[in-house]
Amino acid sequence: MTEVFLLLWPKAKSIGNRFKHRRASDLIRPIVMITLAFLFWVVIFAVFYNVLVYFKSIEILGEILLVKLLAVVFLTFFLMLTVSNIITSLSTYFLSEDNKLILSVPVSTEKVYLSKYLITLAHSSWMVLLFGIPVFIAYGTVYGAPITYYLWVAVILLFFLVPPAGIGVMISISLVNIVPAKRAKGALVVLFVLLLAALYLFFRFLQPEKMVNPERFSELVDYLAMLRLPTSPFLPSHWATQSLFPLLKGRFDESMFYFLLLFSTGLMSVLAGSWICRLLYYRGWSRSFESREVKIKRAPLLEGLFNFLLRPFHGSTKAMVIKDVRIFLRDTRQWSQLILLFALVVVYLFNFKALPLNKVSGISFYLENLISFLNVGLAGFVLSSVAVRFIYPAISLEGKSFWIMMSSPIELRRLIWSKFWTSLVPLLLLAEILIILSNTFLHVTQFMMVISTVTIFLITIAIVSMGIGIGAVYPRFRVEDVAQIHSGFGGLIYMILCITFIGLVILLEAWPTYVIFMARTGERSLTFLQLIEVIFCFCLTVLIILTAIFLPIKIGLKRLSRIEI
Amino acid sequence: MIELIELTKRFGQLVAVDHINLHVKQGEIFGFLGPNGAGKTTTIKMLAGLLKPTSGRALVDGYDVVAHPMEAKRVIGLIPDQPFLYEKLTGVEFLRFIGSLFGMKKDDIQWHISHLLDLFELDGWGDELIESYSHGMKQRLVMSAALLHDPKVIIVDEPMVGLDPKAINLVKRIFKQKSEEGVTIFLSTHTLEIAQQLCHRLGILNGGKLIAMGTLSELMKTLELETGRTGTLESLFLTLTGKALND
Repeated sequence: MTEVFLLLWPKAKSIGNRFKHRRASDLIRPIVMITLAFLFWVVIFAVFYNVLVYFKSIEILGEILLVKLLAVVFLTFFLMLTVSNIITSLSTYFLSEDNKLILSVPVSTEKVYLSKYLITLAHSSWMVLLFGIPVFIAYGTVYGAPITYYLWVAVILLFFLVPPAGIGVMISISLVNIVPAKRAKGALVVLFVLLLAALYLFFRFLQPEKMVNPERFSELVDYLAMLRLPTSPFLPSHWATQSLFPLLKGRFDESMFYFLLLFSTGLMSVLAGSWICRLLYYRGWSRSFESREVKIKRAPLLEGLFNFLLRPFHGSTKAMVIKDVRIFLRDTRQWSQLILLFALVVVYLFNFKALPLNKVSGISFYLENLISFLNVGLAGFVLSSVAVRFIYPAISLEGKSFWIMMSSPIELRRLIWSKFWTSLVPLLLLAEILIILSNTFLHVTQFMMVISTVTIFLITIAIVSMGIGIGAVYPRFRVEDVAQIHSGFGGLIYMILCITFIGLVILLEAWPTYVIFMARTGERSLTFLQLIEVIFCFCLTVLIILTAIFLPIKIGLKRLSRIEI
Repeated sequence: MIELIELTKRFGQLVAVDHINLHVKQGEIFGFLGPNGAGKTTTIKMLAGLLKPTSGRALVDGYDVVAHPMEAKRVIGLIPDQPFLYEKLTGVEFLRFIGSLFGMKKDDIQWHISHLLDLFELDGWGDELIESYSHGMKQRLVMSAALLHDPKVIIVDEPMVGLDPKAINLVKRIFKQKSEEGVTIFLSTHTLEIAQQLCHRLGILNGGKLIAMGTLSELMKTLELETGRTGTLESLFLTLTGKALND
C-alpha cells in the first residue's frame, strides 16, 4: 500500500504546492468559485426540496414517486459515472504524461493499477458529488431524517462511486487492446456527446410544460409510477436507492442487505479490474504508442471556397483562418461539441414553436412582440454560452505552439483579428438563424423583426470581440485538456461581462422600442420629447456596443504583447 | 549581422542574462556554450522576439528586435529545442502556413516545400498529420520551416536533440553550406563536439555572463595562459565554468 501512496504522492504534492505558493491576491479566484458552487448547491437544493415536498403531498403515489425519483437520480449518476470513468481512465492509464516514468520504475502492475484507479475515481466522481449532495440533503430535510442518515449517505455514496470506476477501467483497458487509446478516446467523446444531446432532445420533446395542465400532470405521475426502468435489481443504482431510502425513516436493518451488495460488488470490481489489468495493461500500453498514419487528402473545392471568401484579407490572416478551421474540424474534442450546439438550437426554436400564445386571447399580439424583444436577451445569453466554449479559448488554443506566432513576422493585432473573423462569421449565422426563425414562429411585426435582427447583429459582434479580447487577457497555453480553458477564472469573468453587457443593451433599448412600437400600432407619430429620448437611448446603446467591441480587443492586444514564452 | 549590446534579462531577483556584448559577422557560425541555467536559451529567446530584454539591445541585420520586431523576424529562422507544432496539421500544411506568415508567394512556397521535404527526408510524410511524426521527424520539420523563407540568420537552440546520427550529419552539412552561402548561424549547445566541428567562434556563458569568446585556438591559448597547460575544449569549458576536472 505504501507504494500506491508513493505513486499518488506527486499529484497530492502538486495540488498542495499550488495552494502553498498562492499569493493573497490569488485568493479572489477560489473565493468566487466557492461562492458560485455554493449558490449552485442552494439552487439544486431548493428545486429538489420543492419537488419532493410536492410529491410527498400526493396521496398513495407520493412515496412511490419519491423512490422512483431517487432511482432515476442514481441511474443517471451511474450511467454518467460509467462513461466518464471510461474516458478518464483512457487518459490516466494510457495517455498521461507521467506513465513513462511510472512504468519504468520497479513497481508491480497491481500497484500502478490501484494508484491510477484512485486518480480516475477522483477525476470522474467530483461532479456527481457536486450535483448529488444537495439532492440527498433535500431528501433528508423533507423526511426529517436522523443524523445517522447523513453519515450513511456519505458511506453509500462513496461505495456507489466504486463499481462504475471499476467497470470504466475494465472497459478502457480491454478497449485499448483493440483500438489505440487516442482513437478510442476520440470515438468515446463523440458517443458521450451524442448520448447527452439525444437525452436533452428526448426530455424536451416530452414537452414537460404540458404537465402544468392538471390532466396531463396526472399522466406524468402515472407514468413515473409505472416506470420500471430505474428499478432493475441488477444495477448498483438500484442497490444504492434501496439502501438509502429506508435510512430516511431510520430503518437501518432494511438498508444493510443492499449496502452489502454495493460494498461487495465495489470490492469485486476493483479485484476484477486488477486481474484484467495484469492480463491486458502492458499489451494495451504498447498499442497506445501505435501512431495513426492518416493521409489527409486535399479538398480543392473547400480550399477554393475559403480562398474566395477570404479574398479581402491579407495573406497571413487568410493562412491563420484556414489553419484554425482545419484544426477545429480535425479535433474530435472540439467539433463534437457542435452536436450539443445543434441540439441546443433545435430545442431553442422548438420552445418558440411550442409557446401557447394563441391561447391568451386579446393580448397575444403584444405578448408575441414583447417576447420577441426579450428573445434578443435570451439569444444573447445562448450565444455567450456558445462563445465561452468556442470563442473565448481561441487564443489559448494556440497552446505550446504559440512560439510560432511570436517568432513570425506578423503583428499580434493580425493574429487577434484573424481569430475575431474566424469566430464572428459562424456565430453571426447562428445568431440570425435563432432570431429570424423564432420571430417567424412568433409572427412579430416587421419593426420588431428589424430591431431584433439589428440588435443581435451588434450584440454578436461585441460577444465575439469580448471573447477574443478577454481570452487574450487570460491565456492558458499549457493546459492538457481544452475544457480547462473556459472553465477557469477568465471564462467566468467573460460570462459575467457578457451577461452584464446584454442586460444593459436590452434595458437601454426597451424604452425606445416600446415607444416606437406603441406609436406604430396606434398609428400616431412620436412627440418631440419622445423623439429626443429615443435618439438618446439608441445613441447610448450604440456607444456601449462600440465600447464592447473595441475595448476588449485593445486590452487583450496590450496584454498579449507583454507575454513572454 | 547579430549584435548584442549590454543585453540583460532579469526574472525578478534573478539575472538570467547579464550585460552581454557580442558581434557575429555575416556567414559566421557562432556557438553559445554554457552549463544548464547559464542563460543560453534566454538569450536566444530575446534574439527571436519571444522574450523582451530588461535592458540593452539586440540587433539582427541592423534591426533592433524590440524597436523593429517585424523586420528582424523576417530575416530570422528559429529552431527551438522542443518542436511544439500544430499536431492536427499535415507537414505540408504546416510549411505552407509558415510560408504565408512570412509573406512568401504561393509558387515559391511550393518549390521550397518539395525541396526541403526531400532534403530532410520527409517526403512521403508530407500529407500525414504531425501528431503521427516521431520526435526526430518533428525536429526536422521545424528545421524545414526555419529554412523555408531563406533566412539571413538561423537561430538554433540545441540543434541535435532527438536526431539520429544520420540526421545529425545532415544538419551539420546543411549548416556549413548555409554558412558558405552567407547565412549567419547562432547556435546554443551542450554538445562540445558539435561546437568544435561547426563553429567559427565560440562564446562561453556562465551565470548569465559571457566569460570567454573567440575562435577555438584563441580560447585554447587563454587556457594555456591561465593554467599553464594545454587541453581540449571540454577541459577549457570545465575550467571556465568552475567545474573541477576529475582526471
